[in-house]
Amino acid sequence: MENVIEVSDMSFGYTRDMILEHVDFTVEKGDFAAVIGDNGVGKSTMVKLLLGVLKPTKGSISISGKQVTSLRGTGIGYLPQNGGSKAAAFPATCEEIVMSGLYSKIGFARFPNKSHRAKVEEALKKVDMLDKRKALIGELSGGQQQRVMLARVLAGDPEVLILDEPTVGIDAESVDRLLHILHHLNIDKKVTILMVTHDIEKVGPYANRVLCLSEGACREELLPDAKIVHAHAHSHPHGGSEHIHCANCEHSDSHGHDAEHCAECAHCDTHCGHDHTHHDDHDHHGKGAV
Amino acid sequence: MPEILQYAYMQRALFVGLLLSVIVACLGTVMVHKRLSMIGDALSHSSLAGVALGLLLGFNPIVGAMAVCIVAAFSIEIIRKKLGDHSELAVAIVMSTGIGLAGVMSGFVKSSADFNSFLFGSIVAISGFEARLVMILSAIVLVAFVLLYKELFYISFDEQAASISGVPVGAVNAIFTILTAVTVSIAARTVGALIVSSLLVVPVAAAMSIARSFRTTVLWAIFVSVFSTIGGLVLSFYMGLKPGGTIVLISVAFFLVFRVIALFRGTASSDAKKGA
Repeated sequence: MENVIEVSDMSFGYTRDMILEHVDFTVEKGDFAAVIGDNGVGKSTMVKLLLGVLKPTKGSISISGKQVTSLRGTGIGYLPQNGGSKAAAFPATCEEIVMSGLYSKIGFARFPNKSHRAKVEEALKKVDMLDKRKALIGELSGGQQQRVMLARVLAGDPEVLILDEPTVGIDAESVDRLLHILHHLNIDKKVTILMVTHDIEKVGPYANRVLCLSEGACREELLPDAKIVHAHAHSHPHGGSEHIHCANCEHSDSHGHDAEHCAECAHCDTHCGHDHTHHDDHDHHGKGAV
Repeated sequence: MPEILQYAYMQRALFVGLLLSVIVACLGTVMVHKRLSMIGDALSHSSLAGVALGLLLGFNPIVGAMAVCIVAAFSIEIIRKKLGDHSELAVAIVMSTGIGLAGVMSGFVKSSADFNSFLFGSIVAISGFEARLVMILSAIVLVAFVLLYKELFYISFDEQAASISGVPVGAVNAIFTILTAVTVSIAARTVGALIVSSLLVVPVAAAMSIARSFRTTVLWAIFVSVFSTIGGLVLSFYMGLKPGGTIVLISVAFFLVFRVIALFRGTASSDAKKGA
């Protein structure tokens, strides 16, 4: 499987004291990686390093095969924490804000055309905000604002999505909705997702990888089986468990490679390696599993 | 023909006022949304140091004001980045430096009347050269604003996201800084250094009360700015008032009326709504 994000022997410190030391990890195409860790451990710093906002003191970071020094053309979408809160007092419509996600593609001294407007509509539709396209962003709830900010990112058709605690400050229903959208982007559109989060209870079921930042280093955690909502078809070479679930009784199993039948109900339909579409057919979101 | 249009100096004042009010509103909209409302104050006060320098050394004070404004604008940007969490202090530091320099140098200027004309403006006394300068500048600012509208919108809204998405934020900010500095220095000559910062902010504040998008905010700001300027010049001509102050007071009246309209329509700014 192709590595989309590669961090090798990366260290960083704002002063001489290093916040992150010898961090090594890779994120493969199609992964949904959750990054967890205590406050102040350097999660947001790592996001800034991945985005090229900060430069590593040592080591290297590459995204989609390009060293992170210039991000132009690497197809990254970024959704910050409380992305919509900046917009609260800004007099712009949802449409205007989503269109801004296309500006670098439209190019200097050029103006949006019909196809750009269609892209904006499509992005708003994906996040279920099309009916609010003429509304001022400041008039929306925190969850709706965050969905509009996600639509702005999606308008640019990113191959990689980096999210820094996007669920902070929004209500539980909006969190579920946002995660549901991300889940479908990850499964249907094969968008690689790296999400920094404190809310592993909510995010865990959607992720196939959990990276834990602790004392400046990064290690991979096993996902708790009971929380798995969907399965990824590819393997996880970094020690993460590979999960499948039974379409019949929703039992999760991390030993799916060899299992012929569900350990709970003996239903046979759960081989890991099934394509994603198949698993989507048995998505539990609609059943309120999250 | 109305009496006001029978005088060449008033025709010139109205024409220059019209042009300046349009470009000041365009730049002001971006400035306010970049949370840099006070930059207009810092630049206009700093421009006085350039005016004093020009009067002292015997070159056109507007050229002096432009040069000092550009240096001041870039100084604000540099200091802002160095100060991190206290970046707002950059404006105060540059403004204080400008006022200090202007204060010291004005003591050596022989004709205090010339210096005072920049403090409160003298739109009805601008020369043909200054009118041509305003025309050229207005054309440059308008073209640049239209061409950079997308980028300026994105940077005003979310500078970091704009940078990540590939917008050349540094270059766009530098162009905007130069355009603002030059506009402020010329506007200081017409409406006065003490008043130009109000014209950069008040029409935008009025527009924000009733606009339903960023595009309409720009258009409403232009509307308020143009009508305040023309209205101010007409009123000051017939009532013997100072044009600069009259222009600003009319824009404040627009702001108050728009706030009342917004309250009735229930479309006051999001802050007001959230507080309600």
